[in-house]
Amino acid sequence: MTAAARQAFPASLSLLGITVAGLIFLPLAYIISLAVSTQPAVWTRLWQTRIPELLWNTATLAGGVAIGTLILGVSLAWLVVRLEFPGRRFWEWALVLPLTMPTYVLAYVYSYALGIGGPVEHIWQRVAGPQSHVFSPQSYAGATLVMTLDTFPLVYLLARAALLNLNVSFEEVARVCGLTRLGIIFRVTLPLLRPALVAGLSLVMLYVVSDFGAVSLLRYQTFTYAVYQQMTGRYDHSAAAVLSLILVVFALIFLLAERWFRRRSRFYQTTGRYRAAPRKPCGLLGSAAITVYLGTIFGCAFLLPALLLLKWTLATIAQGTLDSRFWGFVWNSAMLSGVAATAAILLGTPLAYLATRRSARLNVLCLQAAYAGYVLPGPVGALAILLLFSQFAPFLYGTVVILIVAYVVHFLPAGLQTMEPALHQLTPTLEEAARSLGASAMETIRRITLPLVQGGFVAAWVLIFLQCMKELPATLLLRPVGFDTLAVRVWLEASEEYFQLAAPPAFLIVLLSLPALLLLLARDWRSA
Amino acid sequence: MATVQHTFLSSLVHRSWFPLATALMLSVIDVAIPMPATAADRLVVYSGRAERLIKPVLDAFQATSGVQIDLLSSGTTELVNRLHAEGERTPADVFITNDVGSLEHARALSLLQPLDGKMFDGKIPETFRSPDNSWIGLSGRFWIVVYNTTLVNPADITSLFDLADPRWRGKIAIPNAGSEYLQAGVSVIKATHGDQRTQQFLEGLKANAGTQVYGKSSQIVDAVAKGQAAIGVVNHYYVYRHLESQPGAPIAALMPDQQEGGMGAIVNAAGIGVVARSRHTDLARRLIEFLISPQGQKMFAELNKEYPLNPDVPADPALPPRHSFRTSTVQLVRLGELREPTMTLIERVGLR
Repeated sequence: MTAAARQAFPASLSLLGITVAGLIFLPLAYIISLAVSTQPAVWTRLWQTRIPELLWNTATLAGGVAIGTLILGVSLAWLVVRLEFPGRRFWEWALVLPLTMPTYVLAYVYSYALGIGGPVEHIWQRVAGPQSHVFSPQSYAGATLVMTLDTFPLVYLLARAALLNLNVSFEEVARVCGLTRLGIIFRVTLPLLRPALVAGLSLVMLYVVSDFGAVSLLRYQTFTYAVYQQMTGRYDHSAAAVLSLILVVFALIFLLAERWFRRRSRFYQTTGRYRAAPRKPCGLLGSAAITVYLGTIFGCAFLLPALLLLKWTLATIAQGTLDSRFWGFVWNSAMLSGVAATAAILLGTPLAYLATRRSARLNVLCLQAAYAGYVLPGPVGALAILLLFSQFAPFLYGTVVILIVAYVVHFLPAGLQTMEPALHQLTPTLEEAARSLGASAMETIRRITLPLVQGGFVAAWVLIFLQCMKELPATLLLRPVGFDTLAVRVWLEASEEYFQLAAPPAFLIVLLSLPALLLLLARDWRSA
Repeated sequence: MATVQHTFLSSLVHRSWFPLATALMLSVIDVAIPMPATAADRLVVYSGRAERLIKPVLDAFQATSGVQIDLLSSGTTELVNRLHAEGERTPADVFITNDVGSLEHARALSLLQPLDGKMFDGKIPETFRSPDNSWIGLSGRFWIVVYNTTLVNPADITSLFDLADPRWRGKIAIPNAGSEYLQAGVSVIKATHGDQRTQQFLEGLKANAGTQVYGKSSQIVDAVAKGQAAIGVVNHYYVYRHLESQPGAPIAALMPDQQEGGMGAIVNAAGIGVVARSRHTDLARRLIEFLISPQGQKMFAELNKEYPLNPDVPADPALPPRHSFRTSTVQLVRLGELREPTMTLIERVGLR
């Protein structure tokens, strides 16, 4: 490589970074401009008709789920951190497992279980008489239950980490000063946990407002579902764009709140005199009560649904209905996810590299822009990309390319979060040494940087791959006609109430989500 | 596209560990992009009609004519949007839907081409064709009331308007606002009774339905059969299909608005049109000829218990005879122009 080329390299890399960031940011910018330029008449009409109901539904769902996850998350974290009982270590891990259930899988299992003629009604009618009904899963209560069971581990994880970090001296001082046990919890412990809890709740609410799978299967009207209905039922997408913008604002609020409080919780640390609280051993009765409590939640959120899926899957295999089409769906999912994950890593590398190595304001800005995918819930991202493509590249309309772009935009942020620390951990001196020994910039990257960051990048690839496997709304809206993936099959079969047929793809998705969860936990898990 | 991308990417990743991954990715993309059919005896069909209901008929045509059919099934509105977006590059030759309003909308967007009307004389009545024969109806479908026989006395309902009565609060199941059947139904009511009365009706219906708003009509019939809802509004065949698979189900169909001076049952049709950009017009015409022939009509209608439009072909004996009830006089072709105002009305009421 000539000296001139060596000189030009960083500039071209910067240029590449800016281009990638711009492309990733484009859908968000486009949807904002589209909504803003929509005729005021459409805004007025929507304010008078849909928006109040959607705001109310979305806000109450987010609120209900927040309360539910707060109670479950904090109580569970408290039990496994502060008490000692048989099986504690098992529960510590097991309580995270519900995260492997995509919301549409849990929603579909519950619409069977709680539905008319379902097992829960069956049991209930034995208790309360043959005419009695349980509450319908297609309701506020149903949606709240499903979303709570699916997302409480997010609060649990953060609360657990915060409790582990909590210096017990604060509580001891309070006790010495004469506070009661309950007083300590409400006046010392919970306030100290507050940043972690707010961060966890913001994350939960970001999940709730972005979720499409559960609300669509439970027919609960929120913004994501409304955007989807507008897109599939109307010729004109301006109303969908307006609703999307409101959704983006919601998502942005929760995302920023999560970032802000998570950072604060990280620095809420103690002095050198840190001491962990001792675990209080429980008696036989106490242990039994705790086990029943943990078992009920774990059973409802993971074990029973998983067993039901397994049972249905085995039944499907026994009946021979698991045909070659199924493997076609597996291949479609795997192929799409593989291509998308590879593309995301290729595009993310210059961004992560620039932001960590040359953290000029512009480069950091590029990295931030690439996080746009976080505030583009599935249907919104799909809408933006669909409109962009049909305007500027109509020949790609209805091909898998458009779907891969949607995946990259949506999941690159998650990948970047894994790639960035990997690059951070690598000291620049190694690269500088390579350069001073005469290696070219490219050679340095190839021989020094890449081998050292490989682990983080492989983890990011796997993470994106598995997220893509689960992705539902964008796939549903953008897939080439007749091109189904596992997630799409679960949704289609479940929404026609072919519960048994939906089980094999659902079970496979849950299985495949396990390694992704382990990877994520390995990053943050601090063993007690 | 692939070549452009290839040179672009390969210049970026020269001599790094990327080429293998890139090559793999590009080859997969190459395989995955469906190429427009180019062979002379191939016909690409976009269908808003469920695959289960159309594929057997197309298979029969393929077997007798030797024309290879590529079928793409999806939502009707999605397909109109898709045809529109693809414009001149569309691979589609033929568009089949379950809703005349969508066909008429496609015609208004110049997505369909007119055909020679002589082809259809004596086979498909003119009321079931667009004036320039850009689309042709293939089967008739009626928007009716389904009720649970243990929960409802059919004498209580004579008109669709009765469903807005508060006595049915929480007992009615309706399709969501994206349903083409609902849109067509509301269009007819609006054309017959005017905006205000239609709005009152929809408000009552909305209040009575509560959360029982379904994405699929089969779910509505199911909900009524299970007693989750007492009454539902669906196309007639959902009821007869359900009764065929579960003969003992406590449901029955009721043809509304048959009273003196009533508007008559709301009719819609499944239909077909030849895409304006099609390069296989002759083959497309042969397909249409097959579909309006007695054999094609019988198959097409019977697969879904609809009414054949060819007067020589009798309907399924399980259905009420075609001449036993009156039909709305609103012309089908108007469903296209009525749709946007109807959607605005539906949205104003706040139906989902």
